[in-house]
Amino acid sequence: MKRILVACGNGIATSTVVAIKIREACESENIKVYVDQCKLMELDSRANDFDFVVTTGKIQNNEKISVPIVGAMSMLTGIGEEETIEKIINLCKN
Amino acid sequence: MIFYKIFHVLLDAGPTVMLPFMIFFIGLIFKLKPGKAFKSGLTIGIGFAGIKMVIALLSSNLGPAAQQMVKNFGIHLDVLDVGWGAIAAITWGSPIIPILIFGILAINIVLLILKKTETLDVDIWNYHHLAIVGVLTYFTTKSVVLGVLATLTTAVVTFKLSDWSAPLVEKYFELDGVSLPTLSAVSSLIIAVPLNWLMDRIPFINKIHIDMKSAKKYLGLFGEPMMMGLILGGGIGVLAKYDITKILTLAVNMAAVMLLLPKMTALFMEGLMPISEAAKKMTKEKFKGRKFLIGIDAAVIVGNAEVMTTGLILIPLTIGLAFILPGNHLLPFADLAVVPFRIALVVALTGGNLFRSLVIGIAVMSAILLAGTNTSQALTGLASSSGINLSMAAGALISTFAGTSLTVSFIIYEVFIGNLVITVPLFIVGFAAIWIYMGRKEKKMKSVPLEEGARLN
Repeated sequence: MKRILVACGNGIATSTVVAIKIREACESENIKVYVDQCKLMELDSRANDFDFVVTTGKIQNNEKISVPIVGAMSMLTGIGEEETIEKIINLCKN
Repeated sequence: MIFYKIFHVLLDAGPTVMLPFMIFFIGLIFKLKPGKAFKSGLTIGIGFAGIKMVIALLSSNLGPAAQQMVKNFGIHLDVLDVGWGAIAAITWGSPIIPILIFGILAINIVLLILKKTETLDVDIWNYHHLAIVGVLTYFTTKSVVLGVLATLTTAVVTFKLSDWSAPLVEKYFELDGVSLPTLSAVSSLIIAVPLNWLMDRIPFINKIHIDMKSAKKYLGLFGEPMMMGLILGGGIGVLAKYDITKILTLAVNMAAVMLLLPKMTALFMEGLMPISEAAKKMTKEKFKGRKFLIGIDAAVIVGNAEVMTTGLILIPLTIGLAFILPGNHLLPFADLAVVPFRIALVVALTGGNLFRSLVIGIAVMSAILLAGTNTSQALTGLASSSGINLSMAAGALISTFAGTSLTVSFIIYEVFIGNLVITVPLFIVGFAAIWIYMGRKEKKMKSVPLEEGARLN
């Protein structure tokens, strides 16, 4: 089962939106995932426990994080949303 | 007649029942299937119940401790910061919320059609920042009309602030096509822009520029909610002169609050999501082809390295500020987590200048602390009437760094509960002046190409 960490400014509002969309997308592809949410400030200490990270904002490339990072602002604006979801599904399938 | 009766039954039952019904009703209007609208309403009702539980944990533990602090040291920090999430929940539970939500959406659409704004704000979740001004106005004045007007005014101001800060957001955070109508972030600009302008003109001060890349290493722990809760809880326990067992209990309970409160708020958000998505779809279709800025949550800029660094330094500064600021009674707690939101746009404005950002940040947080203290009585009354149990808080009041503590919201709230004959014209003149000034500036910027490194001021 893939473990995904969704991070946003608060760990509440935008990460919830993204987390739900990821769960629904994975469910329709029959992929089992565990999705958790956190604040961007907690990312360093938690990211490496997951398979990859999805963030709603741009973050600087962090040396401490060894897993792939996907930017998901598209899921908030709606523009480019399908491509981002495809990217995430592909990361799950590998 | 029957609708009136049903409405009254709901009103008497209180927000716990009112809230799911309101959301169900709003969901149906946004063309959600009844099943989905029902689940939305129920999820939100559950989120609210969860928030009430955690607030009870917070107030029953921290309230008496804060009062002891007052007795022991005369430290008057007996207004508890319960966090924006709790206030958002209370806002959504208000009987006038449907009018406010549709009012905000309507005025956004009207302004878009009249080309008076470029921002399409369908970030329905964040409408609570706009709605609380109206909800608190209604609570204090008992006038629905004043409440609605207060919220619509806040909405218009927010849309304009969002428009005006969009070039800054695009330049500093490299995000185009969007703007940030999140009042909790743009409100700081009211203080930041004049202060930054001033600092530009003071010799010597205007040359100071500090860099602190290693802040995260040493201050990283301020970014972890449960550690903050543990340390703050323990610290207050010490100041309350509790015995060691009580101090440790308080510390762990506060760590629990810091971790659980966001989770309950997330549940709330989850329930609201289908409505938010439906609103997005509906408005996008109506405005196809028209170029506008999509309004999104300012959470997207909080991850920036300079914002996080400045935020992490400002968090302990805010705690210290709370103790020494004259007239402040607000004990920072749950909302320490959102200090980065308050200074995100300040950082962009100063171009990442840490010294300036911190000075302006202290000014912004001072304004928030004082406004939060000032409106705590009304806010506590509103919370109690919403079913939040504060009976164990030993008389402590509640407040937040959001709601009417935000500078813009505070100003508008005071306008609408004050002597309207005086306050409203003053406000209109002030806001119109800013609008005209910004209009001239936009015209100037459009005719002169921006050179690399040019700032907004």
